[in-house]
Amino acid sequence: MSPLITLKIAATGLRANKFRSILTILGIVIGITAIMLVMAVGSGANKLILSQVQGIGSNMLVVVPGQEAKGPSQFSMFFIDSLKEPEVKALRSKANVPTAIDVTPWQIVPGSISYKGETFQPTTFGTTEQFAEVMSLNPIDGRFFTEDEVQNRANVAVIGTNVKEELFGSATALEEKVKIKGTLFRVVGILPQKGNMLFFNVDDLVAIPYTSAETYLTGKSYFNEIIVRAENESLVDRTVYDISLTLREIHGITNTDKDDFHIHTQKDLVDRIGLITGIMTALLSSIAAISLIVGGIGIMNIMLVSVTERTREIGLRKAVGATDGNIMGQFLLEAMLLTGIGGILGVLGGALLSFATSLVLSKMLNISWEFTFPLNAALLGIGVSS
Amino acid sequence: MPLITLHNIEKIYKTDGAETKALAGVSFSIEKGEFTALMGQSGSGKSTLLHIIGFLDEQSSGTYSFESKISADYGAKEIARVRNERIGFVFQSFNLLAQTSVLENVKLPLLYSKVKKAEWNERACAAIHAVGLSHRVSHESSKLSGGEKQRTAIARVLVMSPALILADEPTGNLDSASGKAVMDILTTLNKEEGHTIIVITHDTNIARYAHRVLTISDGLIVADTQQ
Repeated sequence: MSPLITLKIAATGLRANKFRSILTILGIVIGITAIMLVMAVGSGANKLILSQVQGIGSNMLVVVPGQEAKGPSQFSMFFIDSLKEPEVKALRSKANVPTAIDVTPWQIVPGSISYKGETFQPTTFGTTEQFAEVMSLNPIDGRFFTEDEVQNRANVAVIGTNVKEELFGSATALEEKVKIKGTLFRVVGILPQKGNMLFFNVDDLVAIPYTSAETYLTGKSYFNEIIVRAENESLVDRTVYDISLTLREIHGITNTDKDDFHIHTQKDLVDRIGLITGIMTALLSSIAAISLIVGGIGIMNIMLVSVTERTREIGLRKAVGATDGNIMGQFLLEAMLLTGIGGILGVLGGALLSFATSLVLSKMLNISWEFTFPLNAALLGIGVSS
Repeated sequence: MPLITLHNIEKIYKTDGAETKALAGVSFSIEKGEFTALMGQSGSGKSTLLHIIGFLDEQSSGTYSFESKISADYGAKEIARVRNERIGFVFQSFNLLAQTSVLENVKLPLLYSKVKKAEWNERACAAIHAVGLSHRVSHESSKLSGGEKQRTAIARVLVMSPALILADEPTGNLDSASGKAVMDILTTLNKEEGHTIIVITHDTNIARYAHRVLTISDGLIVADTQQ
């Protein structure tokens, strides 16, 4: 019997059981659409986070006080004051770290900001004039504070758009005096609207000279992080090495296990975030995969019921001359047609829904959510279903 | 030369360890062109016998020859070919494919045959015409009357023009007028086309159409009468 005739027989079989065929196809479509949607959203989220991390430069590295926490008992808080001004100075010295373009420390200043009775809870950083350049945050209005202002402990502040909106509304904020923990600071610049960046929201940010923060607000002379930019990506490892040597020398550390600092490179960060989003995607995918498997078992069940239910038809076909192979071919082809049609519709549905989701997320969250066609999910879905 | 010969055919069914003897040593032969009625009570073994003759079932012991070749010598593919080309079945419950047209139903045996596709429609239409259903060619089979359904089933047999037609209570689900129409068709096929026909029935009026009546009881032929 020619394959075309077998196909015709199988198609007739499916047409004769329209409702059951449609329900079976629907099961496959939902399973594949679900797994594709989940994987598309997962990979979209992954790309978004990675693009944010990569947005701050692949030549960037971050020096953090304390040892890297490898568990709750080793929390890095123990060595929180190991990075201070002398360390920043030492790292800035070309003799110590020749490949560093700039070295920007910052410390967190807890507390609120207020202006004429309006109060806002911002993220306040005491930092240097290089912060704007390192983080690609050029003020849309006014300017960032200068090196002189840092050295002179000037009471100047650069604020994010949310801070400006909350305190000033539509009125101009430049040159106005805001109060941070009782001390007046003059607003000299407004940062662009950027939303979340790494671990803080730029729009909620207040940046002031770290010298001023130390002197008037926190009284602490140590930093939460030092951001170092290497000349280029290929020099990151060399820079990490030089920084480690310099800090160990200053702190008199001979045993590297007793380092009172650790260094994150952007690659570390990308790897970590990749791991986290990978785990999330795997988790979601496994849920979607379960739905696919359940769907698959559903199809098996329907095919089994179909074979049992259709013994009369099988008997008739054998009576008019069908061989066992013909019958087997017919039922296999019917199943393949069901999964094939379901698979194609599912992939189309999954791609369409993923695309729609990427549009909706981009619009709603005001982010550039990239649509990715989850090819592996499509293949996985079709593979499992067939 | 007989078309079929059965010698001491036994059929034993085993269910849950218990054995049931459906056929207890049946022997007879049927010549080409004979019209035979097989009569007997329910459970007497008529259908079992018909299934063995039609290669739908195998005997437990004894020998069965079809066209001078014993059944054990037929391979699986050959049996399928014999069922396709040499033997046609008509069932009490018609066994048509639902939601499928009369034409498609009649063409069903052709799908499994060596007949060229170009001839399918012509042959099917001729068979449908022979049973007087030309006006119903594209009707859905489930929307036909009982008599029309059975005539469709006969057309499905005719399309391959088999040597032997096996009819299992072909009028069992029909009113007397439709039953008569079906039996008239079978008679014509026997008389004019020379098809050998075996009809199972327990209706003596139907048995009257046959030349020979085999009566079966408890798995044994108890009477073999010519009429």
